[in-house]
This record gives sequence, structure tokens and C-alpha cells, in this order.
Amino acid sequence: MDSALSEISEFIQAIPPMDLLPSNIIEQVVKEISICYVRRGQFLPPQGVTEENLYILRKGALSYVTESDELLGKYSEGDICTAFCLNNGSHTSNKNTEVKAQLKPKVTTDEDTLLYSISCEKFYHLVSEYPDVMAFFQQTSEQRLNKKMLKVNEDAIVNSSLLNSSIANFYHSPAVTIGPDASIQQAAILMTEQGFSCLVIVKNGQLLGIVTDKDIRRRCVAQGLGIDQPVSAIMTDNMTTIDIKSTAYDALMMMTKKHIHHLPVTINRQLKGMVTVTDLMNNEGQNAVNITSVIHKATSVSELIEISSLIPKLQIRMAKLGTTADHVGKSISAITMAFTIRLIEMAEKLLGPPPVSYAWLAAGSQARQEQFAHSDQDNALIISNDMKPQHSFWFKDLATFVSDGLAACGFIYCPGNVMATNPEWCQTQKKWSQYFAKWINTPEPKALMHCSTFFDLTTVYGDTRLLEQVRVKMLKTTQGSTLFIAHLSRNALNLRPPLGFFRDFVLIQNGENKATLDLKHNGIAPIVDLARIYALSEGISSVNTIERLKQAAGTPSLSKASAANLIDAYEFLSMLRMMHQANKLQKGQQPNNYLSPKEISKLEREHLKDAFKVIKTMQDHRQSTY
Amino acid sequence: MLNHHPLTRWLIGYEAQRKRMLKRAPEGPLRDFLSVPFPTLYTPFDHTPILSVDFETTGLDAIQDKLLSVGCVELNHRQIKLGTSYHQIIQTEGSLKADNVTIHQITDDQKDQGKPLAEVVEYLLKRLAGKVMLVHFSRIERQFLQQACVELYGMAPPFPMIDTLVVAKKRLDKRDVAYDPSELRLTALRVKYGLPNHYAHNALNDAIATAELLLAQISELNEDMSLQQLIL
Repeated sequence: MDSALSEISEFIQAIPPMDLLPSNIIEQVVKEISICYVRRGQFLPPQGVTEENLYILRKGALSYVTESDELLGKYSEGDICTAFCLNNGSHTSNKNTEVKAQLKPKVTTDEDTLLYSISCEKFYHLVSEYPDVMAFFQQTSEQRLNKKMLKVNEDAIVNSSLLNSSIANFYHSPAVTIGPDASIQQAAILMTEQGFSCLVIVKNGQLLGIVTDKDIRRRCVAQGLGIDQPVSAIMTDNMTTIDIKSTAYDALMMMTKKHIHHLPVTINRQLKGMVTVTDLMNNEGQNAVNITSVIHKATSVSELIEISSLIPKLQIRMAKLGTTADHVGKSISAITMAFTIRLIEMAEKLLGPPPVSYAWLAAGSQARQEQFAHSDQDNALIISNDMKPQHSFWFKDLATFVSDGLAACGFIYCPGNVMATNPEWCQTQKKWSQYFAKWINTPEPKALMHCSTFFDLTTVYGDTRLLEQVRVKMLKTTQGSTLFIAHLSRNALNLRPPLGFFRDFVLIQNGENKATLDLKHNGIAPIVDLARIYALSEGISSVNTIERLKQAAGTPSLSKASAANLIDAYEFLSMLRMMHQANKLQKGQQPNNYLSPKEISKLEREHLKDAFKVIKTMQDHRQSTY
Repeated sequence: MLNHHPLTRWLIGYEAQRKRMLKRAPEGPLRDFLSVPFPTLYTPFDHTPILSVDFETTGLDAIQDKLLSVGCVELNHRQIKLGTSYHQIIQTEGSLKADNVTIHQITDDQKDQGKPLAEVVEYLLKRLAGKVMLVHFSRIERQFLQQACVELYGMAPPFPMIDTLVVAKKRLDKRDVAYDPSELRLTALRVKYGLPNHYAHNALNDAIATAELLLAQISELNEDMSLQQLIL
């Protein structure tokens, strides 16, 4: 192609989803382009354009507003404006066309703008053979987001360590061999000397079989067979081997299927080494389960502090392996729980048994199992109504010991003082019930904002009935309290997602630009808040956001489709936050929630915009309900 | 302000010249070109058919130097139609001067894949018939095209032209402030109008770049302006 047009082709091919098109289709797209120049402050379509066109911005900026001049979004270099493609290439959905036609987009130029304009119809015709590209233009935000998350979750499975690591990383070499004529005793001596639980029987380079500890037990000792008998008498012939090119996952599957623990590893059918089930397990050593069990064995706070340094490493590792944010949140929360329990056990040992029954509660993200490394501690104590005034010293000491211990392990003190050390949050069951009754019956917006963490509570340690009894009563009240739900809704609507992106900035409602996106407050928290409202309206006791959304799906508060959309948006935002934090942690920086648009690809920005749209739709719906 | 009267004469001049030459022109591409009337001076700009053209040459002298390549693209209703774009390298005798190879990126090998001058000029005349030619710095395109026509057909026809350099120059002259001639270069003018960087010294690329510049220039002018405000 001529270099002039190849320059334009390259520009277009760099814009997702055009990057999915082969060069010959891009060339055809370029041939259909008309270049237009529009001065600032003009309406689109440009003079002389009568067809429905889509516009690729080469230079300049556009604003997209509603009839009532509410800003919907902005476009800059490399963005594709499809506002005028009313039927989106799908001629079947006339109903959709009518709805959209009523919306009548208003698009104006904010700067002098150079546009590549192309007829929507011709464009859709050219890319009709490419479903992924068509889907991008035809699908709604919700559909695109769903597709993305399906892919992410698939990748998470594929990327799990065993699946994508080669057996070459696990086996040990060489395998210990012995001739078939050696005695069983000689074999046992060799195994003991070498510290191996199995031997491969070889004659003239031929693999004859395998003998394990278990064979000596079952086929020799148990059968009363003489230890001077040849080892070939108790070996397993026809043994299963695995080629070195296989994945660790293949090895694990093979072992599971055949109920074996040892697999000789071969290269071109020649014995190369041995892989055991223990080898595979060890690789998974630095996982949450492992860390949790180490915590249980710790005997001092200083040991716990040492272990706590593993949390950021675990989070980086899980994120890099493509684990879902949900899984990471649950793992980190489980570890925090293990730390807390261990600290409580240590405290009880120090302070003596509790005077009355109680429970240690976690609030906020830890309760929701959505915690990441370096989050602050939110906790409280619920104590039996039998508590006497003099008992408060024991609980104060407990709270101080645990809270200080957690802080030493990297869980900073809660800036809002939502901690068991605060007398306000170290109360009897009766008092907690009164708190909830007051919040629900006379909701004050400010108080609610502060205490919404307490609607996400879970028992970490102690008598679980204490909290559950309070919760049952609380949920009964919230379900019927329209006033309370209305207040909660109004609070939740204070945090709005941005509109999208403009150049390398985040575009917010009033048209202003911000350098970074606050993933927590402008993305994740709005969904967490919505999920809490649905749960409290419907009497759902779960506190985990995805669980709440799943259980609320199909109730009067939330349709099944909307629930699925919110879960996709939530998972996507959480994933971005996890990756962002993993990158920070890896650089030795303090993880935060501020994502710069420069950190992410253009495609990810598109997905983010879709997630914002899902949140906005649900918030608007909430607003019209209350 | 532009004086309408002499301009009118000039355009009548184009048309009169065209008709006069049509009678003498030999059968073939030149005659075909001359048989299509040019747009009148009062044609609104938006309805004027325009072909943006750029030549790459071995030098500035139309008699000694050679045409290396031709690029063109149509501009109609304020839209540059990329589907109409054309780029062709021309076969020339002799090897290229090293200096020019670096400027035009046309190597001897590529040049050999080119088409004969006659074929390219014939095609260009077909595309130019009834249109106004758009160029940046008209001297090169006018002289080389006229010289080629003289060599091929024994006479050079008139070519009505819009020159983005002249449009820019008029604008600067009106301000009555001294300016550096380098401000009138295509690249400099594009920067001034906030147009993106382009890969210069490819004939088609420059033709598109020139057309984009004209769109930016006329966006500052009256919407209902006619050809007479722009034509040379």
C-alpha cells in the first residue's frame, strides 16, 4: 500500500477493536474514509455529510451531550465516535433503533478537529466477517463487559500455576535405578541411602518397572516374601511414565487417575528423572492455606510479624498468576482472620479465660472477604448480656493486645477508630441491637455514612450466636424500613463513577479532568454500597458483595440481568485494582487505589467505561426508586 | 480585498484558452482533457470539484529535471475521499542523484517498477478534466505538468489552480507584519493549524496533507465563498 495510506492504516489499526482486523480489511476501510475538518464549536455531522457515519478522531476533541446538555462523554485522538450509527449495523432490531433515534445525539467539536469519517453501513459490511469487531460496535456495555469477564475467568483457570508450568520445573534428576536381579533388601538399602521412596528397575537401558515403599510393604513384608528375592518380583511393570514436555497439571491428573504418587519422567522414552506428588505440592507452598497453617503454629507476636511480610508477596504472586480478585480477596481475608484468631488465643493465654462469652467481629472489607494487603483493621467486640462492669477490663486488655498485634503485622489502626479498643464498639449484645435499631429507625445521613461498615459484619472468633441473633433482628427491621433504605440509597449515590476518559485523563461529570481514577471510591465502593442496599432490603444475611448480588438477583430489588452486570463490573474493577496494587507492591511502593489512565491499555479503558456505565445505570435506577 | 474584475478576466482567460486550444489539440488525452469545461468562477467552493496533486521531482528545473512520482486525491464538499487516491512512480532514464533519493525515498529499483511518463500524464489529465487543481507552491506542479504536455502533445493546456501557499501568504500579507518565508512551508502551516505530523516527501502523502491544509484554511473563511476567492 502507498505510504500515505499506510500511515492512516497504521493509525487506525492501533485502535481497538480495529487491531483485530487483518491488513487487507483495514485497507478497504481506509478506502472508504473521507477526511473532514471541523472548526471548534460546531455540531457534527460535518457539513455535506448526509449519511449515518462513524468518526475516528485524528486530531482534536469532541463532546457528546444529551438533549438537555448533560455531558455524556468526550472523544479525543484515536477514539471512535459511533453516536450517529443509530442502527448499529443490526437491521433486525427496529425497536432499538426507535429508542435510540429518540435520543438524538448532540456532538460538538471542542477544538479544531480532523476526522476520518466512514459510513456506518459500509463499515459494518466490511467487518461483518469479524464477530469480535462487530460485537464491539453492536453490543451494549453490559454485553461487552460480560464477554471480557468470561475471558478473564477462563484465563484465571488456564494460568493457575500447575496448568501452565512445565513438568521440567518440578522433576528431580536423575532417578535412582537398580537392576532386576538385585534383592529386595538391596533395593530397600539403596532407597534408604538415597532418601527416595521409589526406584526404577532398569536392564540394559530398558525400563522394566518401578518399585516403591508401598510395594515393599504390600508385596513383600505383608506377603511374607523373602527379602533375598529379586526386586523384579515385587515391581510394577507396565509402569506409567510422563514426557518432559507435559505440564505439571498433566502429571497431577495422571497421578490422580491411576492412584500413583511417582511418575518417571522421560525424554524420547529415555529415563530422565522422577516427579512425585510431593514435588507438585511443594510448588504450591507459598499459598494461602500454607500461610494460614504457619500462623496457627506461631507462638509469639514477633513470629507473626515475620509471617505477615509474606502477605504482599502472596498478593503479587496471585495477581501475576491471573487469580481472580475475588479469590485473592478471600485468601487475604482468610489470612487476616488467622492472624486475629492467633492473637486472640495468645491474649486469652495471657489474660486467662474470658469472664463471659463474647465474639470478636470483623467489619468492612475484611468481613466482606474483599481485603487486600495493607488494609486497615476494622473490628469490634460483641459481649454476652451477662457482662458485669468489672469485666470490661478483661475485654479492654484483649482488644488492646489484638489490635496492637494486628498493627504490628501491618494492619494499620482504623483511621475512623472502628476498632474493638474503642469503648463504643466494645459492647454487649443488647447494646448492639439498640445501635442497629437507632440507625435504622432514625437514620441520619452522616451517622449512616460512618457506620455503614457495621452492616458488613462477621464473627472471626468466639460465640457466633451473639452476632447472628442481632443480625436476624436487624434484617427483619431493615426489610420493612423504606425510610432507612432511602437514606442509605442517598448516601450511596454520593459516590459516582466518572464518565470515561479524555486523552490520558479521567473525565468526570462536570466535564473536568482528573489525572487518576480512584478505583475504590469511584468504582468499587458504589457497587459494594448498592449490594448492601439490596441485601438489607431483601433480608439477605451474606456480606460478601458478589454473594449479596447473587442472592439478591431475581428479587424485587434487583433483576437477574442487572445482578450479572454488576458482578461483571465489580470483578473487572477489582481485577484492575489488584493488578495496580501488585505492580506497586512489586516496586516496593505503598499500594493505593489511584489508577492513572496511562497505566492501562486503550481496550481496558473501553472496558472501564462499560463498567462505569453499568454502575451509572444502576445508580440512576436507585435514584428513581427512592 | 480581492478585486473581482481582473479575476473574472483570468478565469474567462482559462475558459477562452481552453476553447481556443481545443480546436488545435490532436486527438487523444489532451483533447479529451480540453473538451470538459472548467468550473465557473462563481461556483460555490463546496460544489467545486478539486483534485489535490503533488509531484516529486529530481530538481526544480522543469526542463532539465525529471518527474519521479505523482500523487493525487479528490476533494469534494469539504471531504477528502481516500478511495480516490492515486500514487504512481514514473520510469525515468538515467540513475537518480543520491541527494534526491534521500529526500524522496524513491530508489532506482522502485523507479524501474514505475510506469512511463506518457501513461501517467494521460491518467492525470483524465482525472483533472473539469476540475480545479490543488497544490502547495504551484510553480513546480504547473511547470512540470506543462513541460510534460509540451513533450508529449506539443502544447501545454491551462490548469486552473488553488495554491495553499498563496492562500496562506495572502492571509499573512493582510496582517502587514513581517514574516519568515519558512512559515509558508507545508509542514509549518500544518503545525500552525494543529494538523497532525505527516510523513512528508511522498507525493500522495503531500497531496492529502495539502488538501487537509486547505480544509483548515477555508474553515476560517465565509461559508458561502466561491471559487473566485481562492483561485490563482
